Amino acid sequence: MNTKNLSKLKSRFVSREVDKELILVPLTGNIAKMNEMFTLNETAKLIWENMDKVENEEALTNLITNEFEVSHEIASADVSTFIKHLETML
Amino acid sequence: MNQNDSNYLISLNIADFIIQIKSDIEFTPEPGYELFLTNEKETTDFVVNCKADIPADIFAGQKPVFEAENEQQKFYDIYRYKAGLGFVIYNQQQKNTIQQIALLDKEFRNWTIYASDIAEFNPLRYPMGPIIMHYMTIKTNSVMMHASCAFDGQRARMFSGFSGVGKSTMSRIWAEAGSTIINDDRLIIRELENKFFVYNTPMYYKDIPKKAPLNAIYLIHHSPENKIQKLKGAIAATRTMAFCIQNNYDRSFVAERIGFFARLAAAVDIYDLGFVPNASVIEFVKAHE
Repeated sequence: MNTKNLSKLKSRFVSREVDKELILVPLTGNIAKMNEMFTLNETAKLIWENMDKVENEEALTNLITNEFEVSHEIASADVSTFIKHLETML
Repeated sequence: MNQNDSNYLISLNIADFIIQIKSDIEFTPEPGYELFLTNEKETTDFVVNCKADIPADIFAGQKPVFEAENEQQKFYDIYRYKAGLGFVIYNQQQKNTIQQIALLDKEFRNWTIYASDIAEFNPLRYPMGPIIMHYMTIKTNSVMMHASCAFDGQRARMFSGFSGVGKSTMSRIWAEAGSTIINDDRLIIRELENKFFVYNTPMYYKDIPKKAPLNAIYLIHHSPENKIQKLKGAIAATRTMAFCIQNNYDRSFVAERIGFFARLAAAVDIYDLGFVPNASVIEFVKAHE
């Protein structure tokens, strides 16, 4: 997914920090999805905060490997899982 | 019903909101509204203007921003239009038959409802009534919840969760122990001067209006043994918010809701409660307060 699609995906959520944790709620016209929301762990928070600032998912993966002691393979899987999770919430 | 009557006027007090209903045609609201009628004339929080005949093609060519439907039937569609929101409400017995068209102004204070079926003119017919109640909550520091609530004279305890988790069972257990049941299915929570109050709303059956200060919320599920965990912060807010009635197509609605539940979670104790469906849960809950 490129930066345009990542930004578009991010724009379809409302985020708000509560007690230092970030909550995401999808903007959706689908009644079956309207109770979906979740709080983010540290890795997910880093992806969320940067997904509209980088060129692609690979750049997000590199951000994670620079920030946390984690392999490229695991970081890439984390990015992919998070993006897919966001898509399924819409 | 007399079609020659005009300016038929009634007022309802629901959750301490005064709703003035004006109609071209006299009508009898469903029985659940009867005990919520009020003679209050001084203040009006919301106005509902009811008119006969549904205008044709009012939202033709437009795409709804929200569609409430399941695999069996449509409930309602929501459209944006220049003066606010438009609602197309479907009859729950006759598939794909429009029952009401409703317009709501941008302040969410004034409704115009066009209802069909002059012979049984009822502009509040389900699901229109609950939709009005839901939209009363959006800009007023309030929410509507799928929940039951028992008040023992000292503490109001709300029990929430999806269908089948035991909300009605829990109500029955607390009622048998002497508590007043505010309602066992649908409630409004209001934040008034930094305190939270819980109210019942008109249902399909008659009940008197009830109100209690809200002390605790339990997110319940059946369990082989009673067990409890206190929730805090974002987890408490999101897990409780999952059981409010919400139309999440508008960024401002969602942001308001998150803020409301963050304040609620800070002011009211919220627990995850696995329970055995018998009276043992009462002492268990009290012992953990």
